[in-house]
This record gives sequence, C-alpha cells and structure tokens, in this order.
Amino acid sequence: MKNKLVSNALFYLLVLVIALMVLFPFLWMLSSSFKTQVDIIAWPPRLFFEPTLQNYIKVFEEQDFLKYFVNSTIVGGLAVGFSLLLGLPAAYTISRYTQKRLAVFILLARLMPGISFLMPWYIIFSRLGLMDSYTALVLSHMLIALPIVVWIMASYFNGIPTEMEESAMVDGATRQYAFLKIILPLSGPGIITATTLSFIFSWNNFMFSQVLSMEKTRTLPIAVYNFVSYAEVDWGGVMAAAVAIMTPAIIITMIFQKYVVKGLTMGAVKG
Amino acid sequence: MSKVVLKNVVKQFGSVKAVDTLSIEIQDQEFAVLVGSSGCGKTTALRMIAGLETATSGDIFIDDVRVNDLPPRDRDIAMVFQNYALYPHMNVRENMGFGLKIQKLSGSEINARVQEAADILGINELLDRKPKELSGGQRQRVAVGRAIVRKPKVFLFDEPLSNLDAKLRVAMRAEISKLHRRLGATIIYVTHDQVEAMTMADRIFIMSKGVLQQHGSPMEVYAQPANRFVAGFIGSPAMNFVEATLKAEDSDIFITGNGFCLKAPLAFQPALQAHLGRPVVFGIRPEDIALSDDTSTDPGNILTARADVVETLGSEIFIHLACGDDTLVARLPVPDRPVEVGQTLRLGLNLARSHVFDKDSSNTIV
Repeated sequence: MKNKLVSNALFYLLVLVIALMVLFPFLWMLSSSFKTQVDIIAWPPRLFFEPTLQNYIKVFEEQDFLKYFVNSTIVGGLAVGFSLLLGLPAAYTISRYTQKRLAVFILLARLMPGISFLMPWYIIFSRLGLMDSYTALVLSHMLIALPIVVWIMASYFNGIPTEMEESAMVDGATRQYAFLKIILPLSGPGIITATTLSFIFSWNNFMFSQVLSMEKTRTLPIAVYNFVSYAEVDWGGVMAAAVAIMTPAIIITMIFQKYVVKGLTMGAVKG
Repeated sequence: MSKVVLKNVVKQFGSVKAVDTLSIEIQDQEFAVLVGSSGCGKTTALRMIAGLETATSGDIFIDDVRVNDLPPRDRDIAMVFQNYALYPHMNVRENMGFGLKIQKLSGSEINARVQEAADILGINELLDRKPKELSGGQRQRVAVGRAIVRKPKVFLFDEPLSNLDAKLRVAMRAEISKLHRRLGATIIYVTHDQVEAMTMADRIFIMSKGVLQQHGSPMEVYAQPANRFVAGFIGSPAMNFVEATLKAEDSDIFITGNGFCLKAPLAFQPALQAHLGRPVVFGIRPEDIALSDDTSTDPGNILTARADVVETLGSEIFIHLACGDDTLVARLPVPDRPVEVGQTLRLGLNLARSHVFDKDSSNTIV
C-alpha cells in the first residue's frame, strides 16, 4: 500500500518534471507576450507583473497580420491539397505494389536539410519570375507535406486488407474506382492525420518563406521576424506574434489529436 | 454454359513454383472443390481464375474465351473471400448492390435483385445494417449474397467457412450445397478441409506442392486414391500406413511387416507381382479394421495388436494400436465389452479395401 503510494508519487513527480521542461518555453513565451519590454528583460525575472495587451495591439495594428494569416492559410492549404492529390495514389501504389525503394527515395527528400534545396530554388524561381509567388511557396512547402502524406498513408493502406479492393475488382470495378469508392472512404483517420501534421509543418515553416516570399506572399512566421530590427529586438512583439501564430496550430491539433494518434498507430497493428 | 478450363498453368513467385503445370477442366454447373494443405497452390489457382494473379504461363479459359489477359471485372465471375471482404462503410444492401451499381442497372432493378438474393439467404432483416453489426455467420451470408446478385458465370469460393465455428460450418456447408442446386451454377471452391470437399463436391481436385495429385468424385478419390498423399489426405481419421515387403509363397503373395503377415487378396496379385521383394507401404483405413473374436476366419487377414489409447466418441470408438514398431488407428462401433488400455486385440482387416503403395514413388500399386 505504502509502496504503491510512493511509486505513484514518483510517477507524477516525473510527469511534472517532464511537462515543465516541455512547457516552460511556451509558458515563458505566453507570459512575455503580456509583459512590457522592461519587465521582459528585468533581472531577476518577474513572475508577477502588470499584464499589458500592448504587444498584441502592435501585432494586429502595426502589422498586416490578417494578410499573413491568409497567406499562410493559402500556402498551407494548397500545399496540403496538392500533396494529398499526388500523395494518396502514390502511397497506395507503394503499399500495394511494395515499392520500398520509391518510399525510401521520398523519405530521403524529407531527411535532406531543407536549406540545401533553397539555393537552387532561389535561382530557379527568380529566373522563372516566380519569386514572391504562391506557386513557389506552395511547391516548396510540398517538399514537407508530400513525404508526410506518403509515409503516413502507405502504412495506413498496409492495414487495409487487399481483399477489399480485390472484391470490388471482381465485382466489376477498375482499380482506380475501387481506390476511390472503397479504399479512400476507409482511410478517414489516416487522411486526417496526414493533413493535420503536414498543415502544421507548413504553417510553422519559416525558412522557405523567408527566402522565397517578399511583401505579397509573406507568411505568418515571417511576421515574428518583423519585430527584429538592427537596433533592437522587440521581445514583447515577437512573443505576441508567436502566440498568435501558434494558436490556430494548437487548436487544430487539439481537435484532431485523437485521430492523429489513431492514424499513426493504424499501420502498426494489423486490423 | 460456363465451363472453366486451365491448360498447363504455371505460377511462379520468384524461384518458388506455387502452381506447377496445372490442367483441369470444370464442367458447366459442376461443383468443383480444390483441396490440399496450406501452401499447396489451391488459392493461387483460384486467384488466377479470378484474374487477381497473372499466370506465369499456360492458358485459362472461361466458356472457351481465353481470359489470361482480361482484368477480373471482364471475366464475369463472383468471389467469396475467406475474410468476407465486406465494405465496412456500406450497409448490407449497398454491399450487395455494389457490383450491380457498377453495371449501371436501374435502382429498382438493383433493389429487386438484392431482395431476391436476401430472400434466398434469409437475410432480409439485415439489409440496413453495417457489416460490423453482423455475426460471423451473417457476414458469410452477405458475402454469398453479394456474389449471387450478380448472376455470374462462375462462383469462386476461397475457404469461405474457415472463419466460422464448427457447428455453423456444418450448417453453411449444407446451405451452399443447396444453393448450388438451386442456382445451377458452376462453383469452384477452395478448402483445406477434406470433410468440406467430400460432402459438397461433385468432383474433388487434390493438390500438393503446386501439383494436381488426383481428381474424381468424392467416392472415387476415397476408394481409389492415386497415391499415398491422396490416400492420407482424404478420410478422417487418416489412413494407416505401415512399411512392408511383398513375398511370394506357393501361389500366394504375402504382405509382411514388423509383427504381421497378411495374405493379399487374389484380385491384388497380378498388380503386386512386379513388386515382389521390393519395399512397399501397406495402407488401410481405420474403418476397415474390426475386432475379431472369430478364430475360424481366414488367418491371412488377422492382426494382433495392443490397445494404447482408447477414445470414446459416443457412437463409435477410436483405438490407437501398437503393432510391432508401428502404430495404427482403428475406428469401431462401440463394442459390448469395453476395450481396456493395454489389452491385446485380435483384429480382422478388410483387405479387399486396403491399398499397397510403392515406397519410392508413393504411387498406388493396388
């Protein structure tokens, strides 16, 4: 009895320590977003302070936050949409025709540091006159989204018995029709997982937008950067912008997390 | 007319020959059962007929049309899968109507056909349920229903009863047989269960290691097995096999082994003549062994053995016997006096129904 109590206490202590380690930067960011610049750089750090909304007002009034938000949504939405369009059939093919090499090749593209693509992209897109265009950004973000879709969905399709579409094909369907009418309707959790994860990765991407976008197509993460100038870093503005950017991603994750967990473990256990 | 013909069909997976030069001819309205232990190539053969696997070589004909290069949808076949493969997101009605919808039949025609099939199978009250709300037996019926609504040329069944419990299996067995008679359809049925094969088939095709061993009516393959594999595979409990040699004495031939010497029936003798002195395998079915108190019987068919295990099944008993170094199983009606373990028994063999196999080739000599 006593042993159990002790082990329980230790367990929750450990959970608390890990949670604090993970959440500390987030809490720091959240509290700083309500602080004045003086409070933020005060030493020792101030746990209790008079909260101000000034930083948020700055983010939404001085910055064209809505435009960035729309840009991020367009870029994320199109990148994920096209990735699903290409990735779902690709994943199905990899799963059913066991194209392991192809799958590894796609993973390789994901494993290569994104920055190594940037220089060629910059040259190609500027010569094509595509700098600061949605096309360039969507294409670059598909480098992130497509492998996520392919890998999650291939393992998801592996969990669906092949008899499903074989039965449909004997019933008179083409493979494509069987894929559309039988396999896709059964893949909801997997598609939600792939969509959520790839959208969030796209949403959070800073590097590609920083290089490939300018005034017109600038996405949200760049808005954070606007608070960094030669003279000083406006920490309050940075933190408030970061909070504003993270909120939609957190909301999406919270809504879909149960599907995400289901979708990620789906291929693991044969159903 | 819906005849299925396979000519020298081979299926190779890498270096493994799953189906080796298979030639079979299944007649219109015939109930053909492909049977064999797992990995014998029976399911691969069925999948090639369905078009779900391509044959490495050889020709497949349905109604005299070579179908090797036709996709499954153009072969006019229906298939019932082992795991039923019902579409989880559709209810029973939609599951059964799926193929008809692809054929672009009208809604009323689809409804009428689904209704007709549901009446035949007694699944009317299930039509609006999803597959997950059905029991195993009900799913099985829906899978069969999905096949029969399309009125295809050929029905393919891939071990459809192996996921059901024993009782339900017996019931479904009878029902599929009934359905076959009612529809007058050509059915190709794959199973590893020889009881299913024996009870349902017009003709049994027995396969082993990708090779067709024998085909014929259930009684033919039971009474005249082509080789030791077929003899051991068909019948339960399995046929007893004992190594023996053939000896000629006077004008008779004797089958002798460790602890027994049996006189071969006269009808066997011409065939056995060529194998004198050679090692053979003597085979006798458990049901062809009887207890014999009759001391006057021709001693040429008597065997003495010790009862090792006695299994009582109510209507009959199985006795596991030790005879020299060999073990045999006898299947007997329940005797008046119970058989004790360790008891020495005098057994009469029905030698006219026994078999002798060549030890090297395993082929039946007689």
